Amino acid sequence: MDPANSTLGRMLLDEITPVVMVLRTHLVEESSQKNQLSFIQLLSPFCNFNNIDVPVRTASDQPYRLKKFKLRLLYASDIRQPNIEVAKERLNQVITDAGEKDLSNLCSEPLQIEIVLNSSQNEFLPSWFQYFNKELVRTVSFSEHEAFDHPVTCLLAVSSWDEDPINKFVDLFNTNQLPSLLNDGAMDPKILKHFVLVHDGEEVPIERATKTLAEMRSTFGANCCHLLCINSSKDGSEEHENLWAAYKTDISHGQQLRCFLSSDDLDELKKFVQDLSSKHIIPHMEQKIRLLNQQVSATRKGFRNQIKNLWWRKGKDDAPENSAGPTYTFSSVESQIRVLGDYAFMLHDYELALSNYRLLSTDYKLDKAWKHYAGVQEMMGLTYFMLDQSRKDGEYCMENAFTTYLKIGSSGQRNVTRCGLWWVEMLKARDQYKEAASVYLRISGEEPLHSAVMIEQASYCYLFSTPPMLRKYGFHLVLSGDLYKKCDQIKHAIRTYKGALSVFKGTTWRHIRDHVHFHIGKWYGFLGIFDVAIKNMLEVLACGHQSKTTQELFLKDFLQIIQQTGRTYEVPKLQLPVINIPSVKVVYEDHRTYASQAAIHVKESLWQSLEEDMIPTLSSKSNWLELQSKILPKKFKESNICVAGEAIGIAIEFKNPLQIPVSVSGVSLICEHSPVVSEPNANNSIGDQTGETSNKSATSGNSTSDTSLFTLSEADVALGEGETVLVQLTVTPIAEGTLKIVGIRWKLSGSLAGFCTFDSDLVRKKVVKGNRKAKRSTIDNLKFLVIKSLPKLEGFIHHLPETVYVGDLRCIALELKNPSKSPVKKLKMKVSPPRFLQIGHKEDLEVQFPACLERTSTRQSSLRSKTDKVSDGIFLFPEDTTIADGAPISWPLWLRAAAPGKISLHLSVYYEMGDISSVMTYRTLRLHFNIEVLPSLDVSFQINPRPSRLREFLVRMDVVNRSSSKGFQVHQLSSVGNEWEISLLEPTKVLPSDFLLAGQAISWFLKLKNCRSVTDQDSVSSLCPLAKADVNLLCGSEMLFDLHSSPLSEFHHYERVHQRISEKEHEDTVDFILVSRSQSEENKCEIFFSHHICHSSVRTSSPIWWIMDGSRTVKHDFKEPFCVITLRMIVHNSSDDVVSVHCNPSDSAVNISSSGNISAASGNEIGWHDFSMSNDIKITSDAPGPRVVKPMSSDTVLPFIWSASSSTHFTLEPLSSRETPMEICVFSPGTFDLSNYSLNWSISSPSDKWDNGDESRASSGTCQGHPFYITVLQQD
Amino acid sequence: MASTACFMIVSKNDIPIYEAEVGTAPKKEDAAHQHQFILHAALDIVQDLAWTTSAMFLKSIDRFNDLVVSVYVTAGHILHIIHTRLMLLHDSRNDDGIKSFFQEVHELYIKILLNPLYLPGSRITSSHFDTKVRALARKYL
Repeated sequence: MDPANSTLGRMLLDEITPVVMVLRTHLVEESSQKNQLSFIQLLSPFCNFNNIDVPVRTASDQPYRLKKFKLRLLYASDIRQPNIEVAKERLNQVITDAGEKDLSNLCSEPLQIEIVLNSSQNEFLPSWFQYFNKELVRTVSFSEHEAFDHPVTCLLAVSSWDEDPINKFVDLFNTNQLPSLLNDGAMDPKILKHFVLVHDGEEVPIERATKTLAEMRSTFGANCCHLLCINSSKDGSEEHENLWAAYKTDISHGQQLRCFLSSDDLDELKKFVQDLSSKHIIPHMEQKIRLLNQQVSATRKGFRNQIKNLWWRKGKDDAPENSAGPTYTFSSVESQIRVLGDYAFMLHDYELALSNYRLLSTDYKLDKAWKHYAGVQEMMGLTYFMLDQSRKDGEYCMENAFTTYLKIGSSGQRNVTRCGLWWVEMLKARDQYKEAASVYLRISGEEPLHSAVMIEQASYCYLFSTPPMLRKYGFHLVLSGDLYKKCDQIKHAIRTYKGALSVFKGTTWRHIRDHVHFHIGKWYGFLGIFDVAIKNMLEVLACGHQSKTTQELFLKDFLQIIQQTGRTYEVPKLQLPVINIPSVKVVYEDHRTYASQAAIHVKESLWQSLEEDMIPTLSSKSNWLELQSKILPKKFKESNICVAGEAIGIAIEFKNPLQIPVSVSGVSLICEHSPVVSEPNANNSIGDQTGETSNKSATSGNSTSDTSLFTLSEADVALGEGETVLVQLTVTPIAEGTLKIVGIRWKLSGSLAGFCTFDSDLVRKKVVKGNRKAKRSTIDNLKFLVIKSLPKLEGFIHHLPETVYVGDLRCIALELKNPSKSPVKKLKMKVSPPRFLQIGHKEDLEVQFPACLERTSTRQSSLRSKTDKVSDGIFLFPEDTTIADGAPISWPLWLRAAAPGKISLHLSVYYEMGDISSVMTYRTLRLHFNIEVLPSLDVSFQINPRPSRLREFLVRMDVVNRSSSKGFQVHQLSSVGNEWEISLLEPTKVLPSDFLLAGQAISWFLKLKNCRSVTDQDSVSSLCPLAKADVNLLCGSEMLFDLHSSPLSEFHHYERVHQRISEKEHEDTVDFILVSRSQSEENKCEIFFSHHICHSSVRTSSPIWWIMDGSRTVKHDFKEPFCVITLRMIVHNSSDDVVSVHCNPSDSAVNISSSGNISAASGNEIGWHDFSMSNDIKITSDAPGPRVVKPMSSDTVLPFIWSASSSTHFTLEPLSSRETPMEICVFSPGTFDLSNYSLNWSISSPSDKWDNGDESRASSGTCQGHPFYITVLQQD
Repeated sequence: MASTACFMIVSKNDIPIYEAEVGTAPKKEDAAHQHQFILHAALDIVQDLAWTTSAMFLKSIDRFNDLVVSVYVTAGHILHIIHTRLMLLHDSRNDDGIKSFFQEVHELYIKILLNPLYLPGSRITSSHFDTKVRALARKYL
């Protein structure tokens, strides 16, 4: 790139040009003012030559042609250092003006960052930067340490109208008026003078002018005098293209000047300036260059001169250092070199300029004349640039100049700025934007406004560097914006922040985002542009990560802006409070209706399994779905159905992310209602309905006019710090049609209305999360088809206790009510779980409980009809049951607390509409209740066979009161079924008081007798009670409860099912029901408890039972050799199979010891113990006397033998007994234990059910004999 | 001596996944956003520098007034996994300490990455990590 065409090049060719000092009389000024132009302005358009084409020779006689040339015309009074304050004022004005001009762009959206990146530098940079920079550079012109601002020529202008023009010319060049530069010796006062006689054609005849010119020529010399004719046009109506627009700032484009200049005048002006330049100024400069060059060469060039110079300079070292350095007059060699260099620069002879600058810089450095040194370095840098060589040297020089200026302190501050700006341009011309940015940042001094402009320019440098450094760009824009704000340049601040916004848009750096949005919003608020302000402020509202004070500040300022607008503001996506859309829960009732909130929150699958058999839809897929598909257009088929007049509830989570409380009011839903136009015929094809479904739709805006279509509920919420609140909202459709829930609206702090639409995407997410209501995969789940109002049952349960104790059995009443006129019928009901809840009979409501359970001889409870019950637990109400007009019907339910814990009870009531015409033919009412069941009595049984009796068991019942405070009265124990008899072992009163207190435990010992026989085999399942199946445990009361009557028997059934241990059920189990009673705390009424213990095992290892029978004491005269004692053994087969038994008495003692092993091997059943004799004695207190004899030591010969006939073999039919005789021979008196026999049994005809892997029961075995003591006495 | 130090972990797409003010100087209200600005702007420099050197620790790459930015670039940018930058804004000159701090925090960060429940590139919310980082800051900075 040609340096001359770069920005810096053009700037230099503009600014570093010969200065022409203009001195004029006030009449000259007046004449030119007729054209509303000053004299300088009049001439300036002609001072700029783009192709002057003047031949010039260098100092070494190299010819070249000067192309571009410019003269700077300045009044003598302006040739001085500008006043700092005035300059500052003007610069500030420039900035302010620029700010005002931008106002129109202020409200526009920030640009996309891509657009910013693609836009070229020129169109993106604010244009006033260049103007500002130029002004900034000009503040340091006419410094004495530089020569390029020193006037080259003096132009003296006198009007032909003036009296005595020659004297005027002399007067004009009076030293008093001359600039200080000429007077204080900084420059040569003998400068080239040019005399112009301005002839105003309007006023004075031309003759006088020519005469004066002749006089001038004779006085000042022929060459340097000129006559300039202006205003020759008489009427002032000449029109020219606007030459002066660029030179006169206060005229606007298009405004035509009143012009007295004819085109001849213009030509003459042009010719005059051209002559002045080419014939006078340029040759003069050329000549001066030669002259100076010769002088410099003579004094400074060459080896001798250099040595001399060094020597001479050295002598000055001890001179006191002066901050401004030594002063140089125009006659000093240094000044002359500088002038030489600057003239050469201005005539574009950069080589010569550079060599002289180099020479000079060493001198100044040695002299420690830092300002001069810096100035020369600066020029060297520029010269390098213009030569476009040795970039590094150029930069080094600029850096050097910059730091040197910086070093000399505040006086160099503005030079620093100028030097920096040139340096920046130099870097920019070479695409070193990054470096340029850092230079800009170094320029920014203490003046905040200038710093702001510089930092902003730096930021653009970052933007235009490759690769673009966007983050730096944004950061520096923000920095500069802050400085602008500090200087009250809010518009500039907004402009910079807006630029930053395009970088930081959507950033995850939260503090950055908050800072930018908050400040720009606040500033827009200052300017009164509230909508943009609010838009930006909204971004920072949900700033949970900020500190509390910051949050308060944000909210306060935001509300202030809102207040200033003076109206409520609608905001589409208000982030405060945060709405958790995935949490939205919709509750509506189609055919499913709910009795309470609790019922709604139960899983749908649970209800479905409960209603499975009751609802026709699921079972047959015929009725209403088909019907509905015919009646409803296809597009509604997928939408949800709701009934007019019944509320749709929506629960939404509101979250306050802030640490300060927020109040939200008027929360309501936004809904759209569109009526269905035509009811299509059942046969109509559905496809053509889509186009004409709705011609009118009503959206619930602010207007409340559409309350005829639906009503909305409103809620006010106060959210504390970081609180999350679930808001329940409802919409109740009134008219038929389709209703769509569009969104939600609310008011923040009373003045800001926010609304939020439920995006279908977001709601669908909810479906994925498994919300039960949105199971149908619809496109919009929030669309409802409203059908005309239907009757809806309401259900309650009266007297439902909250807490009960385990075993508590009570009657509760379900009340059903239908508030609407039209009746419902065909009621069905199902309850769950059946172990806890049973449906009663209608008459149960009237009877007294538990008195109705008391057994009376007259009442035959088991004959109750069960006709109104069907299988699968579905209860059908009587056919004629219809409910309407709010008249309630009640139905009893039995509640029994079967197990401790928190129990959920579910009821579902199915009913059909009275009129068939409605879309929905049936509905279900779902009821749900929770009760807490506390532990009460803990009952356990231990059952062991009683060896001394046939088919009898000893039962130990342990009852522990596990409750915390309640006392229970144990009333009755019953065994269920007809095969067992139960009785107390001892009819003594065990309990000191009637009540078993909390924490107490007690045991009862009971006898249990199996009285199953073949005869009643087929009536096993009948629940006909046996008189002996019940035991009254409470003394003093003979009342017994009939436990086979209605609710108890059903509960017992489910209890049995629940307590079943394995799939296989066998008969060797017994079920017990323990009845206890208590008083309730509140109303002293009696509470009835039943405890069911099912499947208590009574199984033994062998199917056979036997007892030895015979006299225990025998008297015998042992004079006889031996005594024969005959005994009986009764053997009973308790199994259902034929068993063959082999009785095997043995005389050896070995068998006795091994018997334990056998029984242990087969004793893999719980509840079976190897009963020792001592145990038996302890329990059965009827054993006579103390324990008498230890069995004889086994190694002795037994004192008795079994007679041969004792060994028998026989078979036993199922459930039959047989007696066999046994015989022993005793040889001496004594007490004998007859347990040394064994019974071998085997099932001879195993039925199928034992075959099928029931390994707990062996098919054969050996039983050791029971102890049987016989005492033989000597007969006297 | 009160020092200022702001530590951040920046994941891909310049998303900050962890930030902590670990300096001992009393907190100023505007410091938080200023630190973010400086660190965010320094990413431009990191972007250039990371490819010019094989070192992971880039010390004092950028400065703003008396605050200096040092960066530790994880090896991710070579393997195209996750280019994570640990950035520290500090005013102390303790280069060795800063380097050790970075190395130890990098180890901690790798442990976080190894957690199968941590989604790479998401915000680090582990309080354990936070306390560890602060302890390291007290130790080294």
